[in-house]
Formats: sequence, structure tokens, C-alpha cells
Amino acid sequence: MRLTATIRGASYTFTSVKEVLAKANGPKSGDDLAGVSARDAVERVAARAVLSQLTLAELRENPVVPYEEDELTRLVEDTLNENAFAAVSALTVGQFREWLLDTKTSGSTIRSIASGLTPEMAAAVAKLMSNLDLMVAGAKCEVVVRANNTLGLPGRTSSRLQPNHPTDDVEGILLTTREGLSYGCGDAVIGVNPATDTPESTAEILKALHDVRVRNKIPTQHCVLSHVTVQMKALEFGGPMDLMFQSMSGSEKGNRAFGISVALMDEAYAQMKAGRSSTGPNFMYFETGQGSALSSAAHHGADQVTLEARCYGFARRYTPFLVNTVVGFIGPEYLADGRQITRAGLEDHFMGKLLGVPMGCDACYTYHADMGQDEVESLKVLLGAAGCTYLMSLPLGDDIMLNYQSTSFHDIPSVRGLLGKRPAPEFDAWLSSVGIMDGDRPGERFGDPSVIR
Amino acid sequence: MKEFVALPSRTRTLMAELRSRLGDEGPLPPAPPIPVIAPPPVRVFPSPRSRSRFAEQAAAHTTAMIGIGHVGTRYATDVVLQFQAELAVAHEAVHTVLPEDWAASKGLLSLKSRVADHHQFLLRPDLGRRLDEASLGKLRSSAKRGVDVQPILADGLSAVATMGSGMTLLEAFSAECSKRGWSVGTPMCARFARVWLEDEIGQEVGAKVAVILLGERPGLGTGDGLSAYLVYDPRIGKTDGDRNMMSNIHLRGTPPVEAASRLAVLTGAMLEQRTSGVPLDLSPLVAQLGDAGGTGYRAPQKRVRLVETS
Repeated sequence: MRLTATIRGASYTFTSVKEVLAKANGPKSGDDLAGVSARDAVERVAARAVLSQLTLAELRENPVVPYEEDELTRLVEDTLNENAFAAVSALTVGQFREWLLDTKTSGSTIRSIASGLTPEMAAAVAKLMSNLDLMVAGAKCEVVVRANNTLGLPGRTSSRLQPNHPTDDVEGILLTTREGLSYGCGDAVIGVNPATDTPESTAEILKALHDVRVRNKIPTQHCVLSHVTVQMKALEFGGPMDLMFQSMSGSEKGNRAFGISVALMDEAYAQMKAGRSSTGPNFMYFETGQGSALSSAAHHGADQVTLEARCYGFARRYTPFLVNTVVGFIGPEYLADGRQITRAGLEDHFMGKLLGVPMGCDACYTYHADMGQDEVESLKVLLGAAGCTYLMSLPLGDDIMLNYQSTSFHDIPSVRGLLGKRPAPEFDAWLSSVGIMDGDRPGERFGDPSVIR
Repeated sequence: MKEFVALPSRTRTLMAELRSRLGDEGPLPPAPPIPVIAPPPVRVFPSPRSRSRFAEQAAAHTTAMIGIGHVGTRYATDVVLQFQAELAVAHEAVHTVLPEDWAASKGLLSLKSRVADHHQFLLRPDLGRRLDEASLGKLRSSAKRGVDVQPILADGLSAVATMGSGMTLLEAFSAECSKRGWSVGTPMCARFARVWLEDEIGQEVGAKVAVILLGERPGLGTGDGLSAYLVYDPRIGKTDGDRNMMSNIHLRGTPPVEAASRLAVLTGAMLEQRTSGVPLDLSPLVAQLGDAGGTGYRAPQKRVRLVETS
């Protein structure tokens, strides 16, 4: 393996695949903070040139965290589909990029080799792609999943309704839920981040959301995003729980900081499989985001894009119904500005879809990041055009508990309208039946929360 | 009055030529008439005349912007302006830099982290957690050592909050500590400071408890909140699990004077149990602690109308 490239007569040599992956990354403040980024644009291109010549087999042999040290590396290696891997193993990363972009390569063909890809391969090819490359290739990858409704079909853009409340006031949560539904939001999930992480309050919110869903015959699913161990206890109380949630990180050490492991998630999955209230085969929900491993000093000297891809390598074990990257939530020390947040959103969507998970994105920013409202609105359209499975939705995009700025109830029908996209088919039919939508146009009761009882 | 003459439309001429070239010799359909545009209804937030049941319930249960209506799929102009004003308040708080001479003007020992400027402050939390050489020297030469409590005022993510109610909180908290017979460290203020800076400062002065009072990350429409982080046996290497915190210290949340007495109760528990963070048992103190005993979520902010015209 030769890790050298020459640009204008100057030779650049790298000492490891991990270093090549890190330096090939687009500029990210988190990689600067970790001290792993390229020192300038030319070195970045040199790293990309080296990366383009590595084969997928060489990437498999060089995971960014060693097999002996990390259970996620072991999970990926031990469960990799050898036949699917064999089909692509001889390709260089540069050739793999071209194969993905080739018109003759269909979404279903890409899907057929997904289980033979390691996260490092998805991250590597993303580093050779521009934003529009990421969108074109990402839009090809179709990942269709089903719980109470069906997500990820072509021509569909779904949304999570996020009615968070700083004191878990159930009435407040339900009022916001009704408002959001009246704008056509909530087909991916009605999901609450609770302020209090207890089984009792989790069960109380689950019950209240379930009642709204049943009373109004809404074909969607609900979830309370407390820690997985709290949800397991709430499920023992008798649920009802359509989806089970957990945040994930890209290394064993990072997951330990989140209080989870493969064994714990296996247990949660088994309990949910038996006790869930949703009807389809997919019922897990995971959130990720570039920088989470570094924030707990669990990055092993790897870059944040590669570590993010490793989250999806973990997530796919559980054939989840939802996965999303909370892209701008972590703050400017990991993603400094609108350019970096936009790039990260498109990277994460592409990498997730390539690895076979139904990828959504919380296009968002905190008030101390250098991103404007216009930029985040642009990102929502880019994600919609890239075939992103779902976006978030909140009143005015303002999370009154977590204090950050995300996608609004109004943004969802706007993005759908611009791109000619529709909600999940079952939910689409329900919206028209109650007059919120009239086919692809706002209906008589659009924006009228009194339509929901 | 001048008579209005319709000009021949260049687009219509081009269209007529194109149709003719494509073999369609029929006349162009007539241009649509210019419509009469009625002004839309006045929409304001929050609507003073809104009496709907939904609006009443919303006002009672949440500060989320719901029941705001729509124009097409977008917001009414008044909602846009309210939103932009709230964003501007948050951004202003984040981008305000604490003046270099502010600490000295308040009689406080002036310290600075290793951060060089505001941009670097946002991108390098590691540098904001350590003192620069000059400050370390100043701390060693002029700060009282071996104290029970070392309060530290700091800018954090809102210098607006620090300059607003920072001195009130610092003085009230120091007075509460003195009242309880504890020795209190030299009053000081740190610029470009992150929470963990209290570890190095506390370690240097040999404090039993370090308490940093700093501007918290602004939310939409708010930028004047302070947070307090307390740690027992401060030293470099302490983590978040070793700390207790109280947020939302401002007039609409927990007013500074009230916060000061709760923080003193928390400090007392640390001195007594000789620990802080996760192992600290606060169960006997719940009634006295209020928000300071909780997990640190912020109480809802009442939304106020920010934009008035005419």
C-alpha cells in the first residue's frame, strides 16, 4: 500500500489509512480541534489522491479503530456480507465513486452490495464527492421501511413532529402536536425529547400521544426519546410504544459515554420486538451527529466523518425505521458555520443511505454557530432534493426546550411543494381525508389545529 | 391626468413569432387583466383579539409559537419580523465581547483564558478551559489562597448576561457564603471562559469549592441568562459528572438574589459531604434548592412581542 501523492513536484506521504481518511476530509472545525485535519488545501487534495487509489479491500483491512479495541469494529467485520463485499472489494475508492454515479448503476444494485460495505468505505467515497455528487448518489439509494406506515418511497419526503416542552407539560405537547399535524407534519414519527428522563414521565407522554393517534386514526408512530434503559422500563409498564430510541456514537468508548453497548441494544431490540405497539418490521430509531465521539474523547485519532459513518454501521444491525443526524446541534467547535453544517448534512445522508439505513436529517443550528436562517432553509431544500427520508418539524423551527433552531411546521409543506414531494402514502391519504391537504395542495383545514381532536 | 397606454409586450411578440414558426397561425389568447388586489387581513403576533379556545390553551400551556396561521405555506410578515427580532437578540448576546477593562472597573481581579479572540473562543473550548500565562501569574501573586469558596464571574456564551446581572449574583452569593462563616476567595472575573476554567482557578487558589457564574448559551429571544457550575475539590481533569449546575438565572427565571441563596445551600452540601456532582446527595435539601437541585433544564421563557411599528 503506497500512501504517497505528488502535487506540482511536492511529495506528500501519509503514515496510515486513518491519517489519509482524516486529511481527505472537507474542512471541519471538529477535525481541527482533534488535530487530525489537513494543514492546507493542497495537502487535502494529496490525501484525496492517495485515498482514490486505495481499494475497498484495503479499507476493510484498516478500520480506524482496531478490531481488538472496539466492539463496533468487531460487529462490522464479523457480520459483513462476504458475497456483497467480494463484488466491490477490488474497486479503488475513486472507481467506487464513479460506479455509484454511473447512470447504469441503479438504486437496487447499490442496495444489493450495501451489506458488504464497511463504514470506512462509505466515509472514504464521501470524501471524494462534492455536495452535488453526494446529492446525486444519495438520491439513488432507496431505503424503504415500514412501521405503522411506509417511509422512503420515491417521491416522498416525511417529517418528524417534535413537540418538545421544557417541563413536559402534556397539554402543551399535545397542542403543539395538533398544530404540527395540521401542517401535514409527523408522518415519520411524533417524537418528544423529554425534559425529565424517568420511566413514569416517558410512559405518560407515550400514552397521551398514542391516544391522539388512535382517536384521530392517524397512520404514523410515536416515540419518547429518553435513554433506552428508561424506555425499556416504560415498556415494562405496558407501553404503548411504537418506536424505541437511542443516541449512538461511532466507537465503543463513545457509546459507553452514552451508557450503551451492542449487548444492551440487542437486549432492547429483543424486548421491543416482542412488546411494541407498531405493526411493521422496523421499529428502532437512532440519532447521531458528527463530533459526538470527540466530545467524549472517544475518537481514537479518527476524523468525525468516518466516526459518523461507523454509527450507521452500528445502527443497521437493528434494521431501524428511522436514523437521523442532528447535524448542527453540537455547536461551532465541531461544525463551525453554514458551509460545514451543509456539507455534513449531505455527507451524513449519503453515507447512511449507502450503508442501508433510512436516513433523515435535523437541519439545524445553534445560536453561537456562524449559520444564518437563510442558509438552513437552503439546506432543507438540498436535503429534500437529495431524497432525505425525513426532516424535523417544530413551531417556527424553535425548540423551546433544547434551545436550537431546526425545521419548522411551515417548512415541510414548503419543501414538499417546491420539489413535488408527498408525505408517506398512508399519511398522505389521511391528510386529504381530513381536509388538511387537497392532494398536493394545502386543503380547507390546512393550518387549523382544531381539525385534530 | 395622463392617459394610460398599454405598451406592446416583448414577450408576447416573441411568443407570437415562436408559434408562427411552429406552424400555429392562430392569434395569441388575450393577456390576463391586471387584478384588483385587496389588502390581506391584519395578522399580528400575539394576536390581542385572539379568543379561540386553541389560542387560550396555548397561552396557558406553552411558549411554542403555535396558532400563528400561515400565508400559503409560509409565515405572515408580522411573524417573520418577530422571529427575526428574537434571532437578533440571541445573536447579539453571543457576539458581544466583554470589554477588557470591565472586570477592573468593577473592582474584580481580571483574568483571561488562553483564547486570543472571540472567533477562537467559539471554536476552541479546550483553550477556554485554561488560564493564559499572565493570568496565572496574576492569580498566584494576588489571590487569597486556601479559601472555602472561590466564586468566579465569567463571560461564557453571553457577555450581555454577565454585564447585566453578573455583579448582583456575584455579590449576593459571596455575601451568602460569608454569612454562613465560610472564607470567600478574591472576587475575580475571567474573559473567554468555559465552565471547566473553574478547575484550574480553584486548584491554584486551593479552594474547597469553586463556583463559576457565566453567561449561558442564548435561546431564541433571550440572551440575559446566567448559569452557575459548582465543583468540590476543583482540579484540572474534573468532568461534567463531578459538577452541579443551576441555569436560567435572570429576572424572568430565578432572580439573581434568590439564585445566590440556593447556590449557597448547594455549596453547603458540598462542604458537608466533601463531594459534588453525581455522588452528592441532595434529597434532604430539595425544598430549599428549587431549580438548583434539578437536572438543569430551563424553565419556559414567556414570549414578548419585540417589534412595534408606528
